Amino acid sequence: MTLDVLARRLRRDLGDGAVITDPATRRTYECDGLTAYRSMPGLVVLPEDAEGVQATVRACRDARVPFVARGSGTGLSAGALPEADGVLIVTARMRRILDVDLPNRRAVVEPGVINLEVSRAVGPAGWYYAPDPSSQQICSIGGNVAENSGGAHCVKYGFTVHHVTGLEVCTADGELVRLGAGRAAQAPGYDLTGVFIGSEGTLGIATKIWVRLSRSPQAVCTILAAFASVEQAGAAVSAIVAAGLRPAAAEIMDALAIGAAEAAVSCGYPPGAGAVLIVELDGPEVEVEAETAAVTALCGEAFEIRTATDPQRRAAIWRGRKSAFAAVGRISRDYIVQDGVIPRTALAEVLREIERLASAAGIRVANVFHAGDGNLHPLVLYDGTEPGALGRAEQVSGAILDLCVSRGGSITGEHGVGVDKAAKLPLMFGPDDLATMRLLRDAFDPDGRANPGKVFPTPRRCAERGGGVPAPGRAAVPTARTGDGDGESA
Amino acid sequence: MDIRELTDACVHCGFCLPACPTYQLWGTEADSPRGRIHLIRQVADGLAEPAEVTGHLDSCLGCLACVPACPSGVRYDEIIEHGRELVESARPVADRAVRAGLFALFPYPRRLAAVRGVRPPQWLAGDARTAGDARGAGTDQRSTAGPDQRSTGQIPRQRSTIGATAKAAAELAPPPGPRVPLPRRVAARGTRRAVVGLLTGCVQSAYFSPVSAATVRVLAREGCDVVIPRGQSCCGALPLHAGRTAQARRLARRTIATFARAGVDAIVTDVAGCGSAMKEYARLLADDPRWAPRAARFAEAVRDVTELLCDLGPVAPRRPLPWTVAYHDACHLGYGQGITAQPRELLAGVPQLRVVEVPDGGTCCGSAGVYNLLQPEPASRLGDRKAQAILATGAELVVAGNPGCTLQIQAALRRAGSMLKVRHTIELLDAALRPVAA
Amino acid sequence: MSLDLLEAAAGMARAAGPADTVGGRPAKYVAAPGRPEQLAALLARCAAEGLTVVPRGDGSKLDWGTPPSTVDVLVDTARLAGVLEHPEGDLVVTVGAGTPLRALQAVLSRTGERLALDPPSEEATVGGVLATGEAGPLAHTYGFPRDLLIGVQFARADGVLASSGGKVVKNVAGYDLGKLLCGSYGTLGVVTSATFRLHPLPVARAWLTRPVHRPDQVVEMVEALAASPLTPAAVEVDLPPGNGRPVPRQRGGNEPAGPAMLAVLFEGSALGVPARCHAAAELLGAESDQPSIVDEPPPWWGRYPFGAADVGLRLSVPPAELAATVALLREAAGVPVPVRGSVGLGVLHAALPGDLPVPRLAEILATVREGLAGRDGWCVVLCAPAPARAELDLWGPAPGLALMHRVKEQFDPRRLLSPGRFVGGI
Repeated sequence: MTLDVLARRLRRDLGDGAVITDPATRRTYECDGLTAYRSMPGLVVLPEDAEGVQATVRACRDARVPFVARGSGTGLSAGALPEADGVLIVTARMRRILDVDLPNRRAVVEPGVINLEVSRAVGPAGWYYAPDPSSQQICSIGGNVAENSGGAHCVKYGFTVHHVTGLEVCTADGELVRLGAGRAAQAPGYDLTGVFIGSEGTLGIATKIWVRLSRSPQAVCTILAAFASVEQAGAAVSAIVAAGLRPAAAEIMDALAIGAAEAAVSCGYPPGAGAVLIVELDGPEVEVEAETAAVTALCGEAFEIRTATDPQRRAAIWRGRKSAFAAVGRISRDYIVQDGVIPRTALAEVLREIERLASAAGIRVANVFHAGDGNLHPLVLYDGTEPGALGRAEQVSGAILDLCVSRGGSITGEHGVGVDKAAKLPLMFGPDDLATMRLLRDAFDPDGRANPGKVFPTPRRCAERGGGVPAPGRAAVPTARTGDGDGESA
Repeated sequence: MDIRELTDACVHCGFCLPACPTYQLWGTEADSPRGRIHLIRQVADGLAEPAEVTGHLDSCLGCLACVPACPSGVRYDEIIEHGRELVESARPVADRAVRAGLFALFPYPRRLAAVRGVRPPQWLAGDARTAGDARGAGTDQRSTAGPDQRSTGQIPRQRSTIGATAKAAAELAPPPGPRVPLPRRVAARGTRRAVVGLLTGCVQSAYFSPVSAATVRVLAREGCDVVIPRGQSCCGALPLHAGRTAQARRLARRTIATFARAGVDAIVTDVAGCGSAMKEYARLLADDPRWAPRAARFAEAVRDVTELLCDLGPVAPRRPLPWTVAYHDACHLGYGQGITAQPRELLAGVPQLRVVEVPDGGTCCGSAGVYNLLQPEPASRLGDRKAQAILATGAELVVAGNPGCTLQIQAALRRAGSMLKVRHTIELLDAALRPVAA
Repeated sequence: MSLDLLEAAAGMARAAGPADTVGGRPAKYVAAPGRPEQLAALLARCAAEGLTVVPRGDGSKLDWGTPPSTVDVLVDTARLAGVLEHPEGDLVVTVGAGTPLRALQAVLSRTGERLALDPPSEEATVGGVLATGEAGPLAHTYGFPRDLLIGVQFARADGVLASSGGKVVKNVAGYDLGKLLCGSYGTLGVVTSATFRLHPLPVARAWLTRPVHRPDQVVEMVEALAASPLTPAAVEVDLPPGNGRPVPRQRGGNEPAGPAMLAVLFEGSALGVPARCHAAAELLGAESDQPSIVDEPPPWWGRYPFGAADVGLRLSVPPAELAATVALLREAAGVPVPVRGSVGLGVLHAALPGDLPVPRLAEILATVREGLAGRDGWCVVLCAPAPARAELDLWGPAPGLALMHRVKEQFDPRRLLSPGRFVGGI
């Protein structure tokens, strides 16, 4: 069955408006939040409910074509990069909150529901949904499930896998299956919900998600501390952890990142800071008061400390940090954002090493990171129009990941492996480990139709060189990538 | 900046998507700011023909809600204008005919006044699938309703477009009543603090002249000499926001010239769309060496009436108006000019007046210039949402700063079975400033 | 002949003795590998000879689950013990699967840390806790073993060693096979070592206890607590049968049955804990039922209400349905049934008399399961005396069972690991 026939079948089953075939519109789906990888989908389908997803997946099964699921298209590892000969299944129209059950602290949502919308829906009643990725105003719950997304507050509250207690998934052979305990806490059998979350769309498509709701804390205090150096800021975090405190968030930005944020949103962080540390404490008021005093004392080396408890001033402190990624666009034409993790105690040493790598390559690296759990986001800045700059940037970027793994860390803390880091996965896992993981994939998707080419390095992909259609206006993607090549059929 | 530089600034983060009304309605990438930028760039790079992207650009309201949402500072307002220019020449014949008709009508108050009360024939408007009929199933709350099945990338059939437009026009019927003639100059009451010129506009002057009259009275009471130049033209906002740049430039030059002769400190308007367009004259005429400096000076002097009144500070006494009103932020006031505080400040200065915020107030009502005539289906869905949000506040009156919004919201409220009225901010102020009968 | 080969592979093996049984099934051999490579070689050897394998930690839950169809080799994990890595200040520890949890906690407490797991099986090993997914009162805040596990190494049925996860808490690289292994009852692999995230030991702890009279009262109180800003660390209820019958301890002996009671644990700062306790007392107190604030938990805290002679049940239901569930169970049983558990989570344990005839037990189970069906409620028999454990459907339904079978097919196609012990006959 060709894609044309598939399109006709789906138009008949789901309606005209659910199927996109014209090239220009299809092309707008060629990438997610990581624009370095682009591939035009063969067909785009927008189902409105689980049955629509099922119909689409069944059609793919019958046509023997692959499918890729996409939520809001904001992922940072090209996890939603389409298959040129396959179908892109977009869940953006599946955005109903199906049920809110406050006595059991659960809500059931469709995958296209935007993360922040969950908190908005239950906020007036005093509840919220804890995982808060920086893109939460647009990223979808379905996407969060695929990537096991975290957010600044995951150091205390955990990730998506700790806040999702049940799923309905559409498997690659088109069955809708309930997994997990739903409104209860534990169901008998294997924890299939637990392995599905973070499987990056390779085991199927989640069509309903049971989320756990959390009680909004009584008190929240946000502290901004300015230090002369990143080392000092990191030492303060170590002291906070050693003192047995559990901050709800601990973020550090270095001077370059601060400068970008200032240029973008005039966040007004203390001038001359080598690093700022943002610590957030939340919980019962009496505990937050005690913790605030303790944290302030432990930031003794800071040359300025600001404390805020009311929402506006707290938002003002966060504004700079939240704008950081997009803000570096103002101080650099292009950038690569990495997502490595290291043991928290290795922070100072690794940052020094990153600095060394960067200056050796003549590249600037701005650092923003979740200091509480060692998740780094080095922003490798370069100018794509400068010959060789992209290559050097990618080299530094790759070296940073190698460094993280060599210190016992991870290549990805929250953005996922996707296409972008598939080639690096063998740094962390040997052939037996990867083969064992494939057993799980084979159990769910023996024909390999669900988001193939993601997560696991494939020999075919590694051999492809000379990336495809250059990003409009940008230098051509060079050979170092393992991305999908030119996939357009139009 | 050329279109490539403008679109290069987009890093594809997607933060604009939740702010975009058409993305909220349809969930399609191509009907989001990020997608439209991508489409415009495709055309600029020769990857797509203008005709392939026209539908998606036409569906853009131009509400500019995406601009403040963008963390990278992408100038979507400039990009969409470039885009509209790109597709303008590639439109099919019937499409161009409708648009030509609209833009031969709208910028001209006398022509508008002439068609007031004229109803389109039944055969044209009656069988078209339009606005009110195309409402999707289910309640229109953002989180619970799925969007319409909408063919993307395809321009609707010609007959139904014209018919739909005609029917929408019928629904958006302006209020009855004769035009209030305005004098050429009105003197300030009490100490004169400024001399200002008033732009009477096209739709405003044809259908809402009582609002302009109220504007004149309030300005006078607050110490302004008001000059209302004769022979003033439309400011060009409607054609400008629709990509008809040549017509917009012509009208801009005429407007500048008219007010240059008037010798005023500021050019005041009570129409959000006009203020927004006039403040952009510098950019519009930047390539015209003869007019560029004049345009820049002119643009600097443009003020929305609420803006000017706040700048001057209140002097006239206000009497109490014990009402609850919902204030609606017109997109070209809030997003286009950054004016959200001033109207609220003025309303707050009226004793006993209670102003309530409309939930989801940042989302466009669907008026968007002539959008509600050219794209009646999404416009009416957005109008319905706005009406529901307003009704939820329990307000007794709606206050807005733009005639387009007024027509759109009024029609939507009526569809919802409500007799709630919509008035201009300045009309409320006028009522508060009017001296109590002795 | 097999014993020599087993010994060569594992380093230590012997013939099984009378105590080496699993759910009443006698094993043939017991092997005790000392290193992961030996475990791998052992499993490879078993695979080559088609021998079935069941892992054993301290054996406290070895008789849980359906008795396996055969047990050729009991793999004793005692020698796979020890703290392997515990870097200072990282709040992470890697530990051998055979390590008793109690010993691990002792080591961690020296640096002011803990693994936030307090399962009722006091002598359990880390491997046993993972294999059964066992948790205690702290699960209310910190979750189940799968929520604290960040990395795992295990041996597959074919003897290949594999790892997933890592040594840092934030890690989404690859599939999280640790989630799959938790609660898998040794049917997918044998864990050699596990890496956990740790938490600081709280500075202060205190319990608030309050008598209760009716299960729906409990639900109201728990909802009030959940809606309050007090953030208790754990909320448990004890509903004794009320017929004066003492409740057996898991390891023998009895404890006197006290009045029905709600107990709430608060952890935090030296000033915060007493303040929150008092606030909770005010929230939950009534004229006739004054709460008490104490430094030690009540004797039933974190203990199962069933003993070796009982049929031990675990009911997992939405928290708001606790009262209805207790009523359903007690009515189906027709006899007073002690119920105890984590009310904030909706995880309850109960005891049915072990001397009830098997058909009667089956009837009770069927009634309870029917009442819970389709409402996110499950009833599992954790343990039962023979012959009940071999004849009853201990597990009942499981969500996604067909997929679970497919997973088992991939990991252990020859069904050599704990065959028949798990849901759906896996």
